[in-house]
Amino acid sequence: MKKRITLTREFILGLIVLAFMIFLALTTQFATRNGLFSMMLDVSPTILGAIALSLVIFTGNIDISAGTILGFVSYTAGELAILGAPIWLFAPAAFVVGVLLSGLNGYITVRFKVPSIVVTLAMNMVHLGFYATFLHNSGWLENLGDNFTWFGRGQVFGIIPFIFIVSIAVAALFMFIMKFSKFGKSVYAVGGNRQAAIYAGINPDGTVIKVFLVEGLLLGIAGTLKAVTRSDVLPSSFQGREMTYIAAAIVGGVNIMGGSGKLLGAVFGALLVYLLSTAMIYLGFQDYFQYALQGIIILVAVFITVTDFSAWRKKRPTVIARRGEN
Amino acid sequence: MEQPISVQQRRRGFRITYQTALFSLLVFLIALFGVLQPVFFAPDVLFNVTAIIGEIGIMALAMTFIITTGGIDLSVGYNLQLCAVIFGSVYTSSHNLTLAILLSVATGILCGFLNGIIISRTRIPPLVTTLATMSLFRGVSMIVAGTNTYSGFPDGFKQISTINLFDVIPIQFIYFIVLFAVFNLFYSRGRLGRNLKGIGFNENALIFSGIDTKRNLLFIYTLSGLMCALAALIYLGRLSAATTSMGNDLNLQVVTAVVLGGTSIMGGIGSVTGTFIGVLIIGVLRKGFTLLNFSGNIFNFTLGVMLIVALIVFAWLEERKKTAGRKSK
Repeated sequence: MKKRITLTREFILGLIVLAFMIFLALTTQFATRNGLFSMMLDVSPTILGAIALSLVIFTGNIDISAGTILGFVSYTAGELAILGAPIWLFAPAAFVVGVLLSGLNGYITVRFKVPSIVVTLAMNMVHLGFYATFLHNSGWLENLGDNFTWFGRGQVFGIIPFIFIVSIAVAALFMFIMKFSKFGKSVYAVGGNRQAAIYAGINPDGTVIKVFLVEGLLLGIAGTLKAVTRSDVLPSSFQGREMTYIAAAIVGGVNIMGGSGKLLGAVFGALLVYLLSTAMIYLGFQDYFQYALQGIIILVAVFITVTDFSAWRKKRPTVIARRGEN
Repeated sequence: MEQPISVQQRRRGFRITYQTALFSLLVFLIALFGVLQPVFFAPDVLFNVTAIIGEIGIMALAMTFIITTGGIDLSVGYNLQLCAVIFGSVYTSSHNLTLAILLSVATGILCGFLNGIIISRTRIPPLVTTLATMSLFRGVSMIVAGTNTYSGFPDGFKQISTINLFDVIPIQFIYFIVLFAVFNLFYSRGRLGRNLKGIGFNENALIFSGIDTKRNLLFIYTLSGLMCALAALIYLGRLSAATTSMGNDLNLQVVTAVVLGGTSIMGGIGSVTGTFIGVLIIGVLRKGFTLLNFSGNIFNFTLGVMLIVALIVFAWLEERKKTAGRKSK
């Protein structure tokens, strides 16, 4: 039976986002041109990052090194731009870096059957150490020219940034792929029930690797979009971004156990996480309240998605079937 | 009936070889740093290695328990930070050492209890829980401390980690060895250790045989919180200043020590002795890198690579063990 659209999680989430925006517009300076413009500017990379992490989480994996991969991506883009490369040259190169780094995570995870959380946790440190050890000035680039920033500063009708259009287009493309393609179905299948996926003729390892590669591409796009909005690049400043992306994905209804969730939800999740932190800034809270808030958001959202509330009411004995599984 | 016994024997033989290999690595590293930097062999330098690993070691012991159950606690570094910051702020405002220590320990236990209650009573996986609480603890410690640096603790407090036994052996090492002995006893001889390995292998089987796995899980995560608090106190005695930058990279060091020690990240297999050697290796690396004037970033980089290599080697050995079993059939 087809679910009524008004009852879907995404619709309700969308309403919450809308209500939040109206609330902010009424109480603060949010509804001005600058408020909306900076929202679209800031939320574009987050949307793509949330989609990237959602894809990985769909397969039952996770990527803690996403933030530091963004650092590499933006450094590559910036360094090539300094050498005089135009955007059609440095952007693809940055995408390739993202794909390679994320692919390495995927390869180690699949080939050696180790949980992705530990692999990417270690990679996080490897990346950070790499910036500080092997890059000049820890990879800090400044005074990047117009050939780098014109795209990030460009806008349509004086209000919609180019990068917002790009990220919405990419997000729409991926929603389409996940809904209609064989690849999309196999991603959900592997995350939902690996054994059943094998019986259905899906190669789970191959699917996971593909997902990591796609994640790398998305992170590449997100990192480049984020980088071109500023005239300086500091790779280590991206550390911890993955927490925002994970929070966005989970708030959007992506099940952390894998196998279920929608990308549209992740997009709304990204908006909601952004609006929450903006609201906190408008309300005068310090920056670091956001760490605590993010932790609480993740816990509450995960609790709601993974708990079997019907078992609570019926007092059925709960048998934990999937703890520690990956 | 023969199969389980032979599996058991093979595993026992394997474990010895892995630990011997680990021990050889430790000896090799000491020799390497000694050759590169002869001052490394001076007794006070060698024993200083055991002083700087006190806090990692104590946290790694509890982490061994947790990883054995197939879980993980990523919040240890920020839990330590929060305990240290609470200690600093309470002491600075009240100048009451006992109160500060008590509140700091209570904070650690509370944080661990929070992890434990979430992990044992809900279906949220440990890694997500502790990832979220990591963010939470970090936020709380920043809210408490802001940009303050708490220092000026009394000498009596600093003595908990600055006095040396027989003038050479740092007191932290004694704490570590005593706790190691206790943990090892519970792990290899007690019912708790058996339950933990059981949870790692097949939690449902334990539940159906009437074992309260929830209580065990709650206990070990709370224990981990307590160890974080103790580690924070020892760390503070050595550093004598509490800031929101301490403990940031301890998560990785602790997990690396445990995984390097041969505890399977998938749960079920583990060894406290291995963790002990793993911690020593990390200490030797850190001291050696400091003596060679490498920065902390190179240390973290090496540690990350080491963790990945350890995971790969361990996975490879497991795979080989499986294929060997298949051949012998």
